[in-house]
Amino acid sequence: MPPRSRADGLVLGNRSLSRFDVCIVGSGAGGSTAAWILAAAGLDVCVLESGPLTYQHLDDPKREPLALHSNDEIKYGVRGFIDQLAAVEPRTFRQHDGQDARVHGDVNVLPKLVGGAFGHADCAVPRFAPVDFRLKSAVEELIAATPGLAVPGFGADAASARFADWPISYDDLEPYYAEVEAVYGVHGTTGDNPFAPRRSTPYPLPPGKGMYLGHVLSDGARRTSFLGEPLHPHVYPSAIATRPYDGRPACVECGQCAGYGCPSNAKGSPAVTTLRRALLSGHCQLRAEAHVTGLTANGRVVTGVDYVDADGRRQRVEPGVVILAASPVESARLCLLSGDLGNSSGQVGRNLMFHLQTNANGFLPNRVHGHRGHAVSHGLTDFRGIEPGGETLRVFSTPDGPRLYLGGICEFVAPQWQVITEDGYVYATELPPGFGARSGLALKNAMRGAPLGQHLLGIIMQAEDAPQATNRVDLDPTVRDVFGLPVPRITYAIHEFERQARLFYTPFLRRVIENAGAPQSFVNPCEGLTGDPPTSRHVLGTLRMGADPATSVTDADGRFHDLDNLYACDGSVFTTGSGYNPTLTILAVAARIAHRLAGTAPGAA
Amino acid sequence: MIRLRFPTVPASVTPRPALPQALRWDAPPVTAAALLSRRQFLAAAGVVLAAAALPWTGVRRAVAAARGRFFTGHERRTLGALCDRIIPPDGDPGGAALGAARYIEGLLTALDRSRRRVYAGGPYSGRQPFGDPRDGTPSRRRPRNAFRRFLPLSRLQEIAWRAELFGSAGVPEMAAIDASLGSVKEGLRDKYRAALAKVDQVSRATSGARFVDLDPAGQDVVLLLLDQGAFAPDPRRNGDTWPTLLVRHTLEGCFGPPEYGGNRKGAGWRTIGYEGDSQPLGYAIYSAAIDDYVERPDHPLSTPDPDEIGPGGTIVPNPLPPDAQRIQSSILTLTAPFGGGGLC
Repeated sequence: MPPRSRADGLVLGNRSLSRFDVCIVGSGAGGSTAAWILAAAGLDVCVLESGPLTYQHLDDPKREPLALHSNDEIKYGVRGFIDQLAAVEPRTFRQHDGQDARVHGDVNVLPKLVGGAFGHADCAVPRFAPVDFRLKSAVEELIAATPGLAVPGFGADAASARFADWPISYDDLEPYYAEVEAVYGVHGTTGDNPFAPRRSTPYPLPPGKGMYLGHVLSDGARRTSFLGEPLHPHVYPSAIATRPYDGRPACVECGQCAGYGCPSNAKGSPAVTTLRRALLSGHCQLRAEAHVTGLTANGRVVTGVDYVDADGRRQRVEPGVVILAASPVESARLCLLSGDLGNSSGQVGRNLMFHLQTNANGFLPNRVHGHRGHAVSHGLTDFRGIEPGGETLRVFSTPDGPRLYLGGICEFVAPQWQVITEDGYVYATELPPGFGARSGLALKNAMRGAPLGQHLLGIIMQAEDAPQATNRVDLDPTVRDVFGLPVPRITYAIHEFERQARLFYTPFLRRVIENAGAPQSFVNPCEGLTGDPPTSRHVLGTLRMGADPATSVTDADGRFHDLDNLYACDGSVFTTGSGYNPTLTILAVAARIAHRLAGTAPGAA
Repeated sequence: MIRLRFPTVPASVTPRPALPQALRWDAPPVTAAALLSRRQFLAAAGVVLAAAALPWTGVRRAVAAARGRFFTGHERRTLGALCDRIIPPDGDPGGAALGAARYIEGLLTALDRSRRRVYAGGPYSGRQPFGDPRDGTPSRRRPRNAFRRFLPLSRLQEIAWRAELFGSAGVPEMAAIDASLGSVKEGLRDKYRAALAKVDQVSRATSGARFVDLDPAGQDVVLLLLDQGAFAPDPRRNGDTWPTLLVRHTLEGCFGPPEYGGNRKGAGWRTIGYEGDSQPLGYAIYSAAIDDYVERPDHPLSTPDPDEIGPGGTIVPNPLPPDAQRIQSSILTLTAPFGGGGLC
């Protein structure tokens, strides 16, 4: 009997399935949510995940999954255990057409593993606001009603951006928001954030105790006046269990959270929530380390999915329906690698959005101990640029006339005291020569004092990117990956729309830092200045949803306009990016797409 | 998590000793006679240059010293001395005593056994107990150390790490990438072997003795020189030079989890007051008795550290060491031009 291959050992769930109704490419936030709903509806689902499996017993009904994740800075921050490794899967980056793209070690790359990137950070899951889904109409209505209102990307400047309304509304999505908040176990507080949208259900879980730095910055925010009233800090909604929940333990606030996998499964990674449910249903099979290299199609029908398995062998699945959920960069790249599939509009890969982040910081004289707590416990939404309730946009009176500034939700943050990568590396290898401590007692004493790891605190504000046709992923003309395929080439530049929001809110961000007790504040230089790509980990667009096949790639149900059985259900379908952590909306949109495909209603799974 | 960025600035105005031109990585090709003397020197230093230049082969693997060992005795001593200048001993142990060189040798030999030693296991190290969910106190129950059981690599991780350690030229799966980039990736093993020879070359040429034979002050001078153009920027490693890799690896070896071979018995963490991996106890324990969290009074989650709380609950910060203050001042200086948020 031949020895069992590696790939055979990486097949989970119902191993006897060989014919599939649906094949999902990617097991992250979108893919696992869809797998759960489709398998619950009785459809046989194959999930192909390119990344490794980091759990034991994930498909064992008798035992809780055992995470192979840990509080280990070498494993994560230093050696990239959950990273898409640039050495074998490089990407190239440039800011503008006409420039040569260069290989860059981190083109806003997302973690790649069974369960996807969601568990990589703090599982922050605010909802979008109702106005986000009709942003273009809302701005145009305001421009018509407000003399002197100028907005970059609108009016005379409309050609510079591709704003559009979503083909679905907040009300369409609300039941799915409620459904995914329940299955992933979201904690939050109702009523502490006047800008939060209406909701049909309470948060499933109450908040934890909150991090010290979260309380310090909340106090600073309450002491800061904005438009004549104090700011409104609030608990940051997160898919982290604060009580025993659905077989998961309560989070112990270990502190090695952002950038790490969760050792206890308190974080609602799709692996231990929706994907596990799908695997236990009898209707789902997961193949890990299965790297999809292309799709084949005949007319309007996708006929097969080709992949390379964990033994390096070429394999093929021929399902009834294919769903792309490999993240916006990789989902769009797969279409381009498959003979420009679904691209009669020429829009595949375009309107890539990253969220321009502004990071204001200061040094607290006493220790912030950001190594205790789940990375982000508090934040504020005042700088999103909407009226309370989020139904309408806020018009600001400025000396130049009325203006809109669509910043975003703010996270109160600090280092997690990762002593190697957040302290040592910075002092010895990242600060310019003469400004840091390269070696010797100066370095050792800096490590002892932890001037960053124990004293830096900050605010990260998201800002809505104007969608731009030129911001896109296409295939690099020369650089190849380990599979011999052209790598994604990212072209991305900032638009005046988000630049103005950053400029407007920066002084207020700094004031919060200073009111929280930092003697001085400073602003982290923008990535664009050094020619580097953003590191937001918010990656959206590229297969945008819309009603018009000439200007969008997918329809309101996530189905490609050009194909009868090809769907996308990750961040790629976002029409606009809004200004919040996008994952909850990815989950809700994926849930809606899957339910409509299966013919079921939210709550049925 | 905050990822700070710094603008590039002109080279430091601080006067530094200059590296002789002939010792620069981009020095003009040496003459045959000079090459001969260099070879003789390297042989004397115990380095077999020809072997170092060979690709890794099964034969060479077979004749290599015991598994888990890569360096010659002299190389290992040189590396230990370098680690001790990067994190020097004072009242607390330095890089050598913390096992930083052992960590680096562990990295370079991580693929020598069938059980790869790249990623430690999980979920827990056993350094902390479980919390007691009944009342929210630390329990006496301790998990076993799962860090010790290193994880198998995925197919792509294996390819990436073989290229990282042995160089991409010997990894067939890297051929397409290498061809498209027009370069091969140098392996860390070859890099370290060549670099340690270069350290002695610079040391002899500028101080008249091998690195290990210099006193700490003399070693510090050589260490400075090594940063003055002795090593080429590596285009396949973001342009980093070997001294940058060495400094990073030394920090990892001093302050990473002990299962990787450094941070001996956690002494590196104690030196800087770091509490280490905190799971599964963490900093807030769920109590079923009150259906809420209980914090650890000595390691609070939501309030200031107890040693910085003065009379009446006021905050009394512990003074920051001058070397740490200087880092903060540097960052305020470097980022000052960007404070308006408009440069973007």
